[in-house]
Amino acid sequence: MIHLEKIEKEFLQGQEKTSVLKGVDLEIKKGEFVAVMGPSGSGKSTLLQLLGGLDVPTEGKIEIDGSPLHQMKEKERTVFRRKNIGFVFQNYQLLPTLTVEENIAFPLHAEGKITSEKSRRVQELINSVGLKDVSNKRINLLSGGQQQRVAIARALIQNPAVLLADEPTGNLDREKAEEILALLSTFHAKHKQTIIMVTHDIFAAGFADRIILFKNGRIDQIISRKDDNYAQYLAHFMA
Amino acid sequence: MSVKYGILTLLFGQNHHGYELKKEIDSLLSLKGKVNPGQIYTTLDRLIRDQLVTSPGEDDKDRKLYKIEPNGKKELEMWLLEPVSFHSSKDDFFLKWSCARKIHYPHEQRMIERQKATIIQQVMELTKLKTEALMDGNEETYLLLSGTLLHLEADLNWLNQVENRNRS
Ligand SMILES: Nc1ncnc2c1ncn2[C@@H]1O[C@H](COP(=O)(O)OP(=O)(O)O)[C@@H](O)[C@H]1O
Ligand SMILES: [Mg+2]
Repeated sequence: MIHLEKIEKEFLQGQEKTSVLKGVDLEIKKGEFVAVMGPSGSGKSTLLQLLGGLDVPTEGKIEIDGSPLHQMKEKERTVFRRKNIGFVFQNYQLLPTLTVEENIAFPLHAEGKITSEKSRRVQELINSVGLKDVSNKRINLLSGGQQQRVAIARALIQNPAVLLADEPTGNLDREKAEEILALLSTFHAKHKQTIIMVTHDIFAAGFADRIILFKNGRIDQIISRKDDNYAQYLAHFMA
Repeated sequence: MSVKYGILTLLFGQNHHGYELKKEIDSLLSLKGKVNPGQIYTTLDRLIRDQLVTSPGEDDKDRKLYKIEPNGKKELEMWLLEPVSFHSSKDDFFLKWSCARKIHYPHEQRMIERQKATIIQQVMELTKLKTEALMDGNEETYLLLSGTLLHLEADLNWLNQVENRNRS
Protein backbone atom coordinates (compact mmCIF):
# COMPACT_ATOMS: atom_id res chain seq x y z
CA MET A 1 0.00 0.00 0.00
CA ILE A 2 1.07 3.55 -0.72
CA HIS A 3 0.21 6.14 1.89
CA LEU A 4 0.67 9.88 1.41
CA GLU A 5 -0.13 12.26 4.21
CA LYS A 6 -0.16 16.06 4.04
CA ILE A 7 2.48 16.14 1.35
CA GLU A 8 3.87 19.57 0.55
CA LYS A 9 6.63 20.42 -1.87
CA GLU A 10 8.30 23.77 -2.33
CA PHE A 11 11.00 24.66 -4.80
CA LEU A 12 13.47 27.43 -4.21
CA GLN A 13 14.34 29.49 -7.27
CA GLY A 14 16.83 32.15 -6.20
CA GLN A 15 15.04 33.84 -3.32
CA GLU A 16 11.60 32.86 -4.58
CA LYS A 17 9.78 29.94 -2.99
CA THR A 18 7.16 28.25 -5.14
CA SER A 19 4.73 25.88 -3.57
CA VAL A 20 4.05 23.06 -6.04
CA LEU A 21 2.28 20.46 -3.86
CA LYS A 22 -0.05 21.98 -1.31
CA GLY A 23 -1.23 19.19 0.94
CA VAL A 24 -1.78 15.86 -0.78
CA ASP A 25 -3.41 12.97 1.10
CA LEU A 26 -3.74 9.74 -0.82
CA GLU A 27 -3.99 6.00 -0.38
CA ILE A 28 -3.33 3.52 -3.14
CA LYS A 29 -3.92 -0.16 -2.56
CA LYS A 30 -1.40 -2.78 -3.49
CA GLY A 31 -1.96 -3.90 -7.07
CA GLU A 32 -4.17 -0.96 -8.02
CA PHE A 33 -3.83 0.74 -11.41
CA VAL A 34 -4.47 4.47 -11.03
CA ALA A 35 -4.22 7.31 -13.51
CA VAL A 36 -3.37 10.90 -12.62
CA MET A 37 -4.82 13.64 -14.81
CA GLY A 38 -4.64 17.41 -14.57
CA PRO A 39 -3.53 20.60 -16.32
CA SER A 40 0.17 21.01 -17.05
CA GLY A 41 2.06 22.64 -14.23
CA SER A 42 -0.36 21.26 -11.65
CA GLY A 43 2.37 19.12 -10.01
CA LYS A 44 1.74 15.64 -11.44
CA SER A 45 5.38 14.92 -12.32
CA THR A 46 6.54 16.33 -8.99
CA LEU A 47 4.16 13.97 -7.21
CA LEU A 48 5.52 11.03 -9.19
CA GLN A 49 9.12 12.00 -8.37
CA LEU A 50 8.26 11.95 -4.67
CA LEU A 51 6.46 8.62 -4.99
CA GLY A 52 9.51 7.24 -6.74
CA GLY A 53 11.89 8.45 -4.07
CA LEU A 54 13.74 10.62 -6.59
CA ASP A 55 13.07 13.62 -4.40
CA VAL A 56 11.74 14.25 -0.89
CA PRO A 57 8.73 16.27 0.24
CA THR A 58 9.18 19.55 2.12
CA GLU A 59 6.52 18.36 4.57
CA GLY A 60 4.47 15.22 5.08
CA LYS A 61 4.79 11.46 5.02
CA ILE A 62 5.27 8.95 2.21
CA GLU A 63 5.07 5.29 3.07
CA ILE A 64 5.34 2.44 0.61
CA ASP A 65 4.40 -0.95 2.05
CA GLY A 66 5.17 0.44 5.49
CA SER A 67 8.60 1.87 4.60
CA PRO A 68 8.80 5.59 5.40
CA LEU A 69 10.50 7.19 2.37
CA HIS A 70 10.35 10.63 3.95
CA GLN A 71 12.58 9.49 6.82
CA MET A 72 15.20 7.68 4.77
CA LYS A 73 18.68 9.02 4.11
CA GLU A 74 19.49 9.48 0.46
CA LYS A 75 21.53 6.30 0.19
CA GLU A 76 18.89 4.19 1.86
CA ARG A 77 16.23 5.72 -0.37
CA THR A 78 18.26 4.90 -3.47
CA VAL A 79 18.56 1.27 -2.43
CA PHE A 80 14.84 1.12 -1.69
CA ARG A 81 14.03 2.69 -5.02
CA ARG A 82 16.18 0.30 -7.06
CA LYS A 83 14.56 -2.65 -5.44
CA ASN A 84 10.92 -1.62 -5.29
CA ILE A 85 10.16 1.02 -7.86
CA GLY A 86 10.21 1.12 -11.64
CA PHE A 87 10.10 4.49 -13.34
CA VAL A 88 9.04 5.22 -16.93
CA PHE A 89 9.97 8.82 -17.68
CA GLN A 90 8.17 11.26 -19.91
CA ASN A 91 11.01 11.37 -22.48
CA TYR A 92 12.21 7.76 -22.08
CA GLN A 93 15.64 8.76 -20.62
CA LEU A 94 17.46 5.84 -22.20
CA LEU A 95 21.17 5.68 -23.00
CA PRO A 96 21.20 6.43 -26.73
CA THR A 97 24.48 4.77 -27.66
CA LEU A 98 23.79 1.50 -25.84
CA THR A 99 21.75 -1.33 -27.33
CA VAL A 100 18.23 -2.34 -26.34
CA GLU A 101 19.56 -5.23 -24.30
CA GLU A 102 22.22 -3.12 -22.57
CA ASN A 103 19.64 -0.49 -21.63
CA ILE A 104 17.27 -3.04 -20.15
CA ALA A 105 20.09 -4.72 -18.20
CA PHE A 106 21.54 -1.40 -17.06
CA PRO A 107 19.86 -1.22 -13.62
CA LEU A 108 21.34 -4.64 -12.79
CA HIS A 109 24.92 -3.36 -12.94
CA ALA A 110 24.37 -1.34 -9.78
CA GLU A 111 24.18 -4.67 -7.95
CA GLY A 112 27.38 -6.08 -9.34
CA LYS A 113 27.75 -9.13 -11.56
CA ILE A 114 24.96 -10.20 -13.88
CA THR A 115 24.10 -13.81 -13.10
CA SER A 116 22.75 -16.21 -15.71
CA GLU A 117 19.39 -16.02 -14.01
CA LYS A 118 19.41 -12.26 -14.48
CA SER A 119 20.35 -12.44 -18.12
CA ARG A 120 17.47 -14.88 -18.59
CA ARG A 121 15.22 -12.24 -17.04
CA VAL A 122 16.54 -9.67 -19.55
CA GLN A 123 15.78 -11.98 -22.48
CA GLU A 124 12.34 -12.77 -21.11
CA LEU A 125 11.49 -9.07 -20.86
CA ILE A 126 12.86 -8.33 -24.33
CA ASN A 127 10.50 -10.99 -25.66
CA SER A 128 7.48 -9.85 -23.72
CA VAL A 129 7.80 -6.25 -24.92
CA GLY A 130 8.21 -7.54 -28.50
CA LEU A 131 11.76 -6.31 -29.15
CA LYS A 132 13.50 -9.61 -29.86
CA ASP A 133 14.36 -8.60 -33.42
CA VAL A 134 16.03 -5.37 -32.40
CA SER A 135 17.67 -6.39 -29.13
CA ASN A 136 21.16 -5.65 -30.44
CA LYS A 137 20.25 -2.35 -32.08
CA ARG A 138 21.32 0.94 -30.59
CA ILE A 139 18.56 2.99 -28.97
CA ASN A 140 18.98 5.99 -31.26
CA LEU A 141 17.99 3.80 -34.22
CA LEU A 142 14.58 2.92 -32.74
CA SER A 143 11.15 4.54 -33.17
CA GLY A 144 9.43 6.32 -30.28
CA GLY A 145 7.11 3.38 -29.63
CA GLN A 146 10.04 0.97 -29.52
CA GLN A 147 11.99 3.24 -27.17
CA GLN A 148 9.03 3.38 -24.83
CA ARG A 149 8.93 -0.44 -24.77
CA VAL A 150 12.61 -0.46 -23.82
CA ALA A 151 11.87 2.03 -21.05
CA ILE A 152 9.08 -0.19 -19.73
CA ALA A 153 11.25 -3.30 -19.83
CA ARG A 154 14.03 -1.44 -18.02
CA ALA A 155 11.59 -0.24 -15.37
CA LEU A 156 10.40 -3.81 -14.81
CA ILE A 157 13.78 -5.54 -14.73
CA GLN A 158 13.91 -5.77 -10.93
CA ASN A 159 10.31 -6.91 -10.71
CA PRO A 160 9.27 -3.80 -8.78
CA ALA A 161 6.13 -3.75 -6.67
CA VAL A 162 5.38 -0.24 -7.92
CA LEU A 163 5.55 1.05 -11.48
CA LEU A 164 5.40 4.81 -12.05
CA ALA A 165 4.85 6.11 -15.58
CA ASP A 166 4.89 9.79 -16.53
CA GLU A 167 2.84 10.31 -19.70
CA PRO A 168 4.05 7.03 -21.22
CA THR A 169 1.94 7.54 -24.36
CA GLY A 170 2.31 11.32 -24.64
CA ASN A 171 4.47 11.30 -27.76
CA LEU A 172 2.84 8.38 -29.54
CA ASP A 173 0.03 8.08 -32.07
CA ARG A 174 -3.15 6.26 -31.08
CA GLU A 175 -2.14 2.83 -32.33
CA LYS A 176 1.34 2.93 -30.74
CA ALA A 177 -0.15 4.30 -27.54
CA GLU A 178 -2.63 1.43 -27.51
CA GLU A 179 0.22 -1.08 -27.78
CA ILE A 180 2.01 0.48 -24.81
CA LEU A 181 -1.17 0.49 -22.71
CA ALA A 182 -1.93 -3.09 -23.68
CA LEU A 183 1.58 -4.01 -22.58
CA LEU A 184 1.17 -2.26 -19.23
CA SER A 185 -2.21 -3.93 -18.71
CA THR A 186 -0.76 -7.34 -19.51
CA PHE A 187 2.07 -6.91 -17.00
CA HIS A 188 -0.42 -5.60 -14.47
CA ALA A 189 -2.75 -8.58 -14.93
CA LYS A 190 0.13 -11.04 -14.58
CA HIS A 191 2.25 -9.51 -11.83
CA LYS A 192 -0.17 -7.22 -9.99
CA GLN A 193 2.24 -4.34 -9.69
CA THR A 194 0.80 -1.13 -8.35
CA ILE A 195 0.76 1.18 -11.38
CA ILE A 196 0.51 4.96 -11.21
CA MET A 197 0.33 6.59 -14.61
CA VAL A 198 0.20 10.30 -15.37
CA THR A 199 -1.69 11.02 -18.59
CA HIS A 200 -3.53 13.77 -20.47
CA ASP A 201 -5.53 11.29 -22.42
CA ILE A 202 -8.91 9.98 -21.29
CA PHE A 203 -8.49 7.00 -23.63
CA ALA A 204 -5.37 6.03 -21.65
CA ALA A 205 -6.88 6.87 -18.26
CA GLY A 206 -9.74 4.50 -19.08
CA PHE A 207 -7.33 1.60 -18.50
CA ALA A 208 -7.04 2.51 -14.81
CA ASP A 209 -9.22 1.43 -11.88
CA ARG A 210 -9.34 4.97 -10.50
CA ILE A 211 -8.48 8.41 -11.85
CA ILE A 212 -6.97 11.06 -9.62
CA LEU A 213 -7.82 14.54 -10.85
CA PHE A 214 -5.07 16.91 -9.91
CA LYS A 215 -5.34 20.68 -9.94
CA ASN A 216 -3.04 23.38 -8.68
CA GLY A 217 -0.98 21.15 -6.38
CA ARG A 218 -3.97 19.41 -4.84
CA ILE A 219 -6.23 16.45 -5.44
CA ASP A 220 -9.43 17.88 -6.86
CA GLN A 221 -11.35 14.61 -6.99
CA ILE A 222 -10.80 10.88 -7.24
CA ILE A 223 -12.94 9.25 -9.89
CA SER A 224 -14.10 5.67 -9.94
CA ARG A 225 -16.53 4.00 -12.38
CA LYS A 226 -18.78 3.08 -9.46
CA ASP A 227 -19.52 6.71 -8.58
CA ASP A 228 -22.69 8.41 -9.76
CA ASN A 229 -22.17 11.15 -12.33
CA TYR A 230 -18.45 10.48 -12.60
CA ALA A 231 -18.56 11.13 -16.34
CA GLN A 232 -20.15 14.57 -15.90
CA TYR A 233 -17.41 15.41 -13.44
CA LEU A 234 -14.68 14.23 -15.80
CA ALA A 235 -16.16 16.11 -18.75
CA HIS A 236 -16.33 19.26 -16.68
CA PHE A 237 -12.78 18.80 -15.36
CA MET A 238 -11.33 18.33 -18.82
CA ALA A 239 -13.16 21.31 -20.37
CA MET B 1 -38.15 10.27 -35.41
CA SER B 2 -35.88 12.91 -36.91
CA VAL B 3 -38.70 14.16 -39.21
CA LYS B 4 -40.76 15.03 -36.14
CA TYR B 5 -37.98 17.14 -34.60
CA GLY B 6 -37.04 18.58 -37.99
CA ILE B 7 -40.59 19.91 -38.36
CA LEU B 8 -40.60 21.31 -34.83
CA THR B 9 -37.27 23.01 -35.55
CA LEU B 10 -38.57 24.66 -38.73
CA LEU B 11 -41.79 25.81 -37.06
CA PHE B 12 -39.91 27.15 -34.04
CA GLY B 13 -39.25 30.55 -35.64
CA GLN B 14 -42.17 30.89 -38.06
CA ASN B 15 -45.28 29.21 -39.47
CA HIS B 16 -44.93 27.15 -42.64
CA HIS B 17 -47.16 25.26 -45.03
CA GLY B 18 -46.53 21.62 -45.87
CA TYR B 19 -44.66 22.08 -49.13
CA GLU B 20 -42.26 24.55 -47.55
CA LEU B 21 -41.62 22.12 -44.70
CA LYS B 22 -40.81 19.38 -47.17
CA LYS B 23 -38.25 21.58 -48.99
CA GLU B 24 -36.62 22.89 -45.82
CA ILE B 25 -36.46 19.55 -44.14
CA ASP B 26 -34.51 18.07 -47.04
CA SER B 27 -31.84 20.69 -46.54
CA LEU B 28 -31.88 20.47 -42.73
CA LEU B 29 -31.51 16.69 -42.79
CA SER B 30 -29.10 16.76 -45.72
CA LEU B 31 -26.90 14.14 -44.11
CA LYS B 32 -29.84 11.78 -43.86
CA GLY B 33 -31.15 11.64 -47.42
CA LYS B 34 -34.48 12.83 -48.78
CA VAL B 35 -37.76 12.55 -46.94
CA ASN B 36 -40.92 11.60 -48.85
CA PRO B 37 -43.87 14.01 -48.71
CA GLY B 38 -46.21 11.39 -47.27
CA GLN B 39 -43.98 11.09 -44.24
CA ILE B 40 -44.19 14.87 -43.67
CA TYR B 41 -47.99 14.84 -43.66
CA THR B 42 -48.39 11.76 -41.43
CA THR B 43 -45.90 13.29 -38.99
CA LEU B 44 -47.83 16.59 -39.05
CA ASP B 45 -51.07 14.69 -38.32
CA ARG B 46 -49.45 13.06 -35.30
CA LEU B 47 -48.03 16.38 -34.08
CA ILE B 48 -51.51 17.93 -34.31
CA ARG B 49 -53.08 14.94 -32.52
CA ASP B 50 -50.53 15.36 -29.71
CA GLN B 51 -51.21 19.14 -29.60
CA LEU B 52 -47.60 20.04 -30.27
CA VAL B 53 -48.59 21.78 -33.51
CA THR B 54 -51.87 23.43 -34.62
CA SER B 55 -53.14 24.95 -37.83
CA PRO B 56 -54.04 28.66 -37.64
CA GLY B 57 -55.74 28.44 -41.08
CA GLU B 58 -54.63 28.89 -44.68
CA ASP B 59 -52.35 31.34 -46.44
CA ASP B 60 -53.44 33.56 -49.36
CA LYS B 61 -52.92 30.67 -51.77
CA ASP B 62 -55.21 28.38 -49.74
CA ARG B 63 -52.34 26.31 -48.39
CA LYS B 64 -52.78 24.99 -44.89
CA LEU B 65 -50.38 26.64 -42.41
CA TYR B 66 -48.83 25.00 -39.37
CA LYS B 67 -47.83 26.63 -36.10
CA ILE B 68 -45.79 25.31 -33.17
CA GLU B 69 -47.46 25.30 -29.72
CA PRO B 70 -45.64 25.92 -26.39
CA ASN B 71 -45.73 22.16 -25.74
CA GLY B 72 -44.06 21.59 -29.10
CA LYS B 73 -41.27 23.99 -28.17
CA LYS B 74 -40.83 22.24 -24.84
CA GLU B 75 -40.68 18.86 -26.55
CA LEU B 76 -38.03 20.09 -28.99
CA GLU B 77 -35.86 21.60 -26.24
CA MET B 78 -36.03 18.41 -24.21
CA TRP B 79 -34.86 16.46 -27.22
CA LEU B 80 -32.00 18.90 -27.88
CA LEU B 81 -30.67 18.54 -24.34
CA GLU B 82 -30.87 14.74 -24.31
CA PRO B 83 -27.41 13.31 -25.14
CA VAL B 84 -27.13 10.68 -27.86
CA SER B 85 -25.52 7.34 -27.21
CA PHE B 86 -23.15 5.98 -29.80
CA HIS B 87 -25.38 3.10 -30.78
CA SER B 88 -28.50 5.10 -31.59
CA SER B 89 -26.94 6.57 -34.70
CA LYS B 90 -30.32 7.10 -36.41
CA ASP B 91 -30.89 9.90 -33.95
CA ASP B 92 -27.41 11.27 -34.04
CA PHE B 93 -25.94 14.31 -32.43
CA PHE B 94 -24.97 16.10 -35.66
CA LEU B 95 -28.64 16.34 -36.58
CA LYS B 96 -29.61 17.52 -33.12
CA TRP B 97 -26.88 20.12 -33.19
CA SER B 98 -27.98 21.36 -36.66
CA CYS B 99 -31.51 21.82 -35.30
CA ALA B 100 -30.13 23.73 -32.31
CA ARG B 101 -28.17 26.05 -34.61
CA LYS B 102 -31.22 26.60 -36.80
CA ILE B 103 -33.31 27.89 -33.89
CA HIS B 104 -30.35 29.74 -32.27
CA TYR B 105 -30.80 27.55 -29.23
CA PRO B 106 -29.23 29.38 -26.24
CA HIS B 107 -28.12 26.22 -24.41
CA GLU B 108 -25.81 24.77 -27.06
CA GLN B 109 -22.93 24.68 -24.55
CA ARG B 110 -25.01 22.58 -22.18
CA MET B 111 -25.90 20.18 -24.99
CA ILE B 112 -22.21 19.80 -25.79
CA GLU B 113 -21.24 19.21 -22.18
CA ARG B 114 -23.89 16.54 -21.75
CA GLN B 115 -22.89 14.89 -24.99
CA LYS B 116 -19.25 14.88 -23.89
CA ALA B 117 -20.15 13.31 -20.56
CA THR B 118 -22.09 10.59 -22.37
CA ILE B 119 -19.15 9.87 -24.65
CA ILE B 120 -16.70 9.87 -21.73
CA GLN B 121 -18.86 7.41 -19.84
CA GLN B 122 -18.91 5.14 -22.89
CA VAL B 123 -15.15 5.52 -23.28
CA MET B 124 -14.59 4.50 -19.66
CA GLU B 125 -16.90 1.50 -19.88
CA LEU B 126 -15.73 0.29 -23.27
CA THR B 127 -12.05 0.69 -22.38
CA LYS B 128 -12.62 -1.59 -19.40
CA LEU B 129 -14.37 -4.17 -21.58
CA LYS B 130 -11.67 -3.83 -24.20
CA THR B 131 -8.92 -4.51 -21.64
CA GLU B 132 -10.84 -7.55 -20.38
CA ALA B 133 -11.17 -8.86 -23.93
CA LEU B 134 -7.44 -8.40 -24.42
CA MET B 135 -6.62 -10.27 -21.21
CA ASP B 136 -9.00 -13.08 -22.14
CA GLY B 137 -7.34 -13.38 -25.54
CA ASN B 138 -10.59 -12.46 -27.27
CA GLU B 139 -9.04 -10.77 -30.30
CA GLU B 140 -12.24 -10.03 -32.28
CA THR B 141 -13.98 -8.36 -29.37
CA TYR B 142 -10.81 -6.43 -28.59
CA LEU B 143 -10.55 -5.11 -32.15
CA LEU B 144 -14.27 -4.32 -32.47
CA LEU B 145 -14.21 -2.35 -29.22
CA SER B 146 -11.06 -0.56 -30.38
CA GLY B 147 -12.94 0.45 -33.52
CA THR B 148 -15.87 1.83 -31.54
CA LEU B 149 -13.46 3.75 -29.32
CA LEU B 150 -11.81 5.34 -32.36
CA HIS B 151 -15.25 6.60 -33.45
CA LEU B 152 -15.85 7.99 -29.98
CA GLU B 153 -12.48 9.72 -30.09
CA ALA B 154 -13.45 11.42 -33.35
CA ASP B 155 -16.78 12.50 -31.84
CA LEU B 156 -15.06 13.90 -28.76
CA ASN B 157 -12.50 15.75 -30.88
CA TRP B 158 -15.29 17.29 -32.93
CA LEU B 159 -17.16 18.45 -29.80
CA ASN B 160 -13.95 20.07 -28.55
CA GLN B 161 -13.53 21.80 -31.91
CA VAL B 162 -17.07 23.23 -31.75
CA GLU B 163 -16.47 24.35 -28.17
CA ASN B 164 -13.17 26.01 -29.03
CA ARG B 165 -14.63 27.84 -32.03
CA ASN B 166 -17.60 29.01 -29.99
CA ARG B 167 -15.22 30.34 -27.38
CA SER B 168 -13.01 32.32 -29.75
N1 LIG C 1 13.08 21.22 -9.85
C1 LIG C 1 12.22 22.24 -9.91
N2 LIG C 1 12.59 23.49 -9.56
C2 LIG C 1 11.74 24.51 -9.61
N3 LIG C 1 10.47 24.41 -10.01
C3 LIG C 1 10.02 23.22 -10.39
C4 LIG C 1 10.88 22.07 -10.37
N4 LIG C 1 10.16 20.98 -10.79
C5 LIG C 1 8.92 21.45 -11.08
N5 LIG C 1 8.84 22.78 -10.84
C6 LIG C 1 7.64 23.61 -11.02
O1 LIG C 1 6.55 22.96 -10.41
C7 LIG C 1 5.35 23.15 -11.13
C8 LIG C 1 4.72 21.80 -11.39
O2 LIG C 1 5.53 21.06 -12.29
P1 LIG C 1 5.23 19.56 -12.67
O3 LIG C 1 5.17 18.73 -11.47
O4 LIG C 1 6.23 19.20 -13.72
O5 LIG C 1 3.76 19.70 -13.30
P2 LIG C 1 2.98 18.72 -14.32
O6 LIG C 1 3.75 17.43 -14.41
O7 LIG C 1 1.63 18.59 -13.70
O8 LIG C 1 2.92 19.44 -15.61
C9 LIG C 1 5.72 23.89 -12.40
O9 LIG C 1 5.36 25.22 -12.24
C10 LIG C 1 7.22 23.72 -12.49
O10 LIG C 1 7.80 24.84 -13.09
MG1 LIG D 1 4.62 16.48 -16.11
